[in-house]
Amino acid sequence: MFRFDPYSPAVDADPFPFYKTLRDEYPCFWSEEANMWVLSRYDDIVTALNDWETYSSARGNLMDEMPNRAGATLGTTDPPRHDRLRGLVQFAFTKKAVEGLNEPVRASANRALDAIQGEKTFDFVSQFSSKVTVDVLFGLFNLPRENEKMVRDKAVLMVQSDPATRQKGPEHLAAFQWMSDYAKSLVELRKVEPGDDLITALINAEVDGEKLADREVQMTITTLIMAGIESLSGFLTMFAYNLADHPDARRQLVANPALVADAMEESLRYNTSAQRFRRCLQRDVELHGQVMRQGDFVCLAYGSGNRDDRRFPNAHIYDITRKPKGHLGFGGGVHACLGTAFARLASKVAFEELLKRVPDFTRVQDQLPWMSSTTFRSPTRLELAVG
Amino acid sequence: MAKITFISHDGAEQVVDIPTGWTVMQGAVQNGVDGIEGECGGSCACATCHCYVDESFAGSLPAPTQTEEEMLECTSSERKPNSRLSCQIKVTPELDGMTLHLPETQS
Repeated sequence: MFRFDPYSPAVDADPFPFYKTLRDEYPCFWSEEANMWVLSRYDDIVTALNDWETYSSARGNLMDEMPNRAGATLGTTDPPRHDRLRGLVQFAFTKKAVEGLNEPVRASANRALDAIQGEKTFDFVSQFSSKVTVDVLFGLFNLPRENEKMVRDKAVLMVQSDPATRQKGPEHLAAFQWMSDYAKSLVELRKVEPGDDLITALINAEVDGEKLADREVQMTITTLIMAGIESLSGFLTMFAYNLADHPDARRQLVANPALVADAMEESLRYNTSAQRFRRCLQRDVELHGQVMRQGDFVCLAYGSGNRDDRRFPNAHIYDITRKPKGHLGFGGGVHACLGTAFARLASKVAFEELLKRVPDFTRVQDQLPWMSSTTFRSPTRLELAVG
Repeated sequence: MAKITFISHDGAEQVVDIPTGWTVMQGAVQNGVDGIEGECGGSCACATCHCYVDESFAGSLPAPTQTEEEMLECTSSERKPNSRLSCQIKVTPELDGMTLHLPETQS
């Protein structure tokens, strides 16, 4: 009897064999462990993403939702409120707006690389991807330069779940609470000292003639920090993991850095850090012979859709010339990742600098320690040997 | 379902059937229309699904929202009065037969 348990360490480590069985044999699967349906084929996921009226986000979008978060963030609100809220935040994340981050990211990457200069091995997570993302995000939001390591540690902890109890443990909830309090303190600070930044803009913003509630501002900031730090550093780590395991691809990028952007898109397809999000059905839906009921939760397995041969031929092959248009690495539809332009720019620049100074690297660990998360996937350490 | 014709900058024509309720960008990307990129996934954040709506259908579309208006200022090719972002055009049966001209560049 096939089972799909997104809490199991086996799925954290390698979800792809499970995804293949799901796509081929159980394209509309009820997971008892997750207590929700799982959609795994590309077309089904895209259909759901384009139909927010049926597949609602208002009851939460993370596989394991955090307390009192649903309804207070962009990702957990449906149109039309979502669209108005998004319109307020979007200005800070357009392609044009993030262009100015080019040099700060480059400088930040080089600072991290200076620190590992001469080392024979280094941990890509703690010594590169985390450092760069925290540094750049603090700059982007103009955050006070304190607590940087703590913010990163809490962001990583809050997205995790306990594989034994299949829910968030006290340490994960405490991390979320810490981050909420931190966001609250930022809001208080900006109320006293307004600036030309996103937090100030959110405080002053009005939707339907009403200001956002403090909790909405706070939860939105919490989510942006979570995504900006945890998801982005997770993705950078996955990109490095791919390039460590595919030396030919890496050598091509070293020889021609203009290919970094294409390789990044392929990594977003091949193993995005955002593996699974969820929706809640607003009506009964019949799909592949199953009836999903109104009120049921549905997991959209982006990581599986991205490996669907029906959409991407030879989807299991990492091919940097693929140009995988329409991949689900950033989700899609009205809730498509807000930070795409920022993530693309930061990843591209960070890897241009990394490959200049560390052109050759191999993976040290045979088995990687994977984060225990039902939503995101990346290793907590990635030791690389230089040369 | 609506038949939408995409005409690329060099005049190449591609006709795509797009289901009702989908966005034009989504239908274009799913069907390999090269001149539409849709980098941001359809959330009106990148202006890489820019298109010029054929005059005969200009009146059939709801006006752009403020967000779309702002993003239309960021298009890579010239913004014209009939410029739209195709991720903001929801397909309805009334759009059957619409022609969209694609700009020279999207990014």
